[in-house]
Amino acid sequence: MKKLLLVFLLFLFAGIGMAHSADSLFFPYQYEEFKLDNGFKTYLIPVHGSGLVAYYSIVRTGSRDEWEQGKSGFAHFFEHMMFRGTKKYPGPVYDRMITEMGADANAYTTDDYTAFHLVFPTTYMKKVMELESNRFEDLSYSERDFKTEAGAVYGEFRKGRVNPWWVLEENLYDLAFVKHTYKHTTIGFEADIKNMPNMYQYSLSFFKRYYRPENVVLVITGDFDPVRTKELIQEYYGSWKKGFVPPKIQKEPVQRKERSKVVKYPGKTLPILAIGYKGPAFDPTNKMVAGAYILGDMAFGENSDLYKKLALKEQKVEFIEPDFSYHRDPNLLIIYSMIKNENDISYVKGEIDDTIEKFKSQAVSETELKNYIEHVRYRFLMNLNNPDNIAGSLARYIAMTGRLESVNELFNTMDSLTPDDIRAVANRYLQSSHSTVITLEGEK
Amino acid sequence: MRKFLILISMFLIGGTFIFTSCQKSTGEKMVLYPVQEDPTISIRIMFEVGSQNDPVGKDGLAAFTAAMLTEGATQKLSYENILEKLYPMAASINNQVDKELTVIYGRVYKDHIQDYYDLFRQVILEPGFTEEDFNRVKSSMLNYVENNLRYANDEELGKKALQEFIFEGTPYGHIVEGHVSSLKAITLDDVKAFYKNYYTRDNVIIGLGGSYDSGFVTRVKSDMKTLPSGKNLQQPGKPQVKPINGLEVRIIEKPGANATAISFGYPIDVLRGQRGFYALAVANSWFGEHRNSSSHLYQVIREARGLNYGDYSYIEYFPQGGSRQFPPPNVARHQQIFEVWIRPVPNDAKLFAFRAADRELHKLVDNGLTDSEFKLTSNFLKNYVLHFAPTTMSQLGYAMDDQFYNIDGSYLKIFRQKMTDLSKAEVNEAIKKYLQYKDMKIVFVTDNAEKLKEMLENDTPSPIKYSTPKPEYEKLD
Repeated sequence: MKKLLLVFLLFLFAGIGMAHSADSLFFPYQYEEFKLDNGFKTYLIPVHGSGLVAYYSIVRTGSRDEWEQGKSGFAHFFEHMMFRGTKKYPGPVYDRMITEMGADANAYTTDDYTAFHLVFPTTYMKKVMELESNRFEDLSYSERDFKTEAGAVYGEFRKGRVNPWWVLEENLYDLAFVKHTYKHTTIGFEADIKNMPNMYQYSLSFFKRYYRPENVVLVITGDFDPVRTKELIQEYYGSWKKGFVPPKIQKEPVQRKERSKVVKYPGKTLPILAIGYKGPAFDPTNKMVAGAYILGDMAFGENSDLYKKLALKEQKVEFIEPDFSYHRDPNLLIIYSMIKNENDISYVKGEIDDTIEKFKSQAVSETELKNYIEHVRYRFLMNLNNPDNIAGSLARYIAMTGRLESVNELFNTMDSLTPDDIRAVANRYLQSSHSTVITLEGEK
Repeated sequence: MRKFLILISMFLIGGTFIFTSCQKSTGEKMVLYPVQEDPTISIRIMFEVGSQNDPVGKDGLAAFTAAMLTEGATQKLSYENILEKLYPMAASINNQVDKELTVIYGRVYKDHIQDYYDLFRQVILEPGFTEEDFNRVKSSMLNYVENNLRYANDEELGKKALQEFIFEGTPYGHIVEGHVSSLKAITLDDVKAFYKNYYTRDNVIIGLGGSYDSGFVTRVKSDMKTLPSGKNLQQPGKPQVKPINGLEVRIIEKPGANATAISFGYPIDVLRGQRGFYALAVANSWFGEHRNSSSHLYQVIREARGLNYGDYSYIEYFPQGGSRQFPPPNVARHQQIFEVWIRPVPNDAKLFAFRAADRELHKLVDNGLTDSEFKLTSNFLKNYVLHFAPTTMSQLGYAMDDQFYNIDGSYLKIFRQKMTDLSKAEVNEAIKKYLQYKDMKIVFVTDNAEKLKEMLENDTPSPIKYSTPKPEYEKLD
């Protein structure tokens, strides 16, 4: 019997150096792509020693794909419905079988994708594949279960709605986008959530359109036999019928003028300032994309001059931080700041503007740029410390592009960045006419 | 009718699994967890001090002091300098404070260990304690307590309020983060004095994990020996909890709240590693495994009725339950509580949800687990425990907790073995011994405290409206 209780052996990670040439492979584990005739793709990443397997089914559908009126929040709701079972394995049976394995099983939804993830002892690979392929191909639930689950989703909304950040993000995206589905957050508009119990028929259509082999990528990491696993993939996913229908997402028109809004939060909070600039869609080979991420850290991150000035020296803000993360379609490059005194809101906004002007006009130092790139590299690599984290770290990149190679491409692009690139990114994206400013204020 | 004692409160917030490789020093307090294949090195320096050591009127001082270490200057370097040096390593130095323990911890790629440790040792041994950092940390802690906890997270507020309610009058009886008035009363001299009293060489436990070498162990040991002596340190001992009489309710009014968060529980006299703990862990897992659909409460309240996002129970403290999937290390305590966490439910279903959970607890205590429930849950836990500590850092932390609880060997390994050895009779015996439903403390965070009080006092019926036909298999009274 294979011993389960072993340390995670990070052979490959342990062996890599941190210096990378432009054409080197950044992702430190060996992997294999396996694709079926129906378009279903799997990345197999064996990392032996743990006795555990992480199994991520990445559906390349998230709240971005909710393009129909009144259907915001549906990708997330549907994530819940995926646990309600099939004719062969009804929900309680599925739950029981997962429980018997002692698996850690859960799911989450984002703007760009939905991930269903399990971590389980290797011995259950065949059973997991049978269960997972079955629910992805033949999900079946009653209208009663559908309505009951809508209550749980509303409960999730209720627990989060008390948070000022939740209120802030709802308003920021709603104001920043006019046509594109990034207008709503992943949980959706409350009116749509309230109406979810009445959308049973729509849910069947949602499943038929998006839960198809061409739109799902499986990532398997950990302790498994790749040869046998590929046989199982063929056996269990080979009959899954194609049929993905692309969403009709409208392109966001070019923003011509700054938008702003003051939002009242029904509770006490320090004021929060959020400035979102229209950014690029993810493209791992595009210097503007890799450069935007680095720019965010350099200008507004914890090691930035502005953070040190506003948070440490002057202590005008609790914090300032960037969210210049990657998205499948053009999204926002956001600067958040929690300000200690409402009288300083204008001052902080002015400091942010001045910083942007500085990055537009002056080149950063080469050494400083390299330090920031090293930071991002180490941060990514240090998180690859068990099968679950490896698969989880890849999920967004695979969801945005359908390809694991995008990780290598991105970090190679990052390696090639120069100070002039960072200046170009600032000039291209951080324009006030492309910005949306939300000021959230609490009760007095 | 059950009698409720109700308090309406609006003032509240004011190796691996290869443990053969884990070396526990007998002379010095040290846990070594070598994993040569791990390219990183994990450091956990733990002090036997926590919020139970906060002086009267200075609630939050232990947390404040730890924050001054990890979020402040050293004698040689400003906090800004420290951030600059840590940045290229993608490393950080963090703290975690609970009732009895404080741990300063961090992880770094082994190439950087010398530079990183040079900062780490300064943070612990040579803190700067500047006025500038003091003001910043105080502002941040006040913001958390005054705004974030009070308004932005009702379920976390409910859980923290339950801890205070159960342990009131004891050294456990205030939240680790302190209160607005006590935080305002803390001075920089208080921080310096607290550090001097408790960050001593007699009070430190060194934990190292990953691919360190023997020279590094020697260096850390030698450094920690330079801490001052603290042999006469008096610890408060196990908290003497006031007995609970019947159902004692605290209602925290939050005007306009669109949902109600509920937590309830009571102290239990069993700790990790003791006889009965593992059996009770099986019962608790069946009843309310954290963030898991195998939880019976989850099935009854969420899955069958869709009332909320989840419902769980605990026999050990489990902080940050909204964001964590598995129990964290180094929050060990000498007194634990049995706790039920009902995530926010619609206001018109709050009493129903509480009664549903209460009823299921009655059934558990009165009837115990069935044969199939016992087998399913013990088999589940046998594998599920494999997920508890998937990294060197977390495994090191668990090994350090083994010392706290005087466990001979590895808790996680013993836990797994116990899931094979336990009998249903032992589990049901543990339920009878440690769980009950007559004397409990209950916290509601809700919008209309007076109305709820009236409903509880009058034992008002609380039927809910089902959006679908009432579940046939699990009708409630």
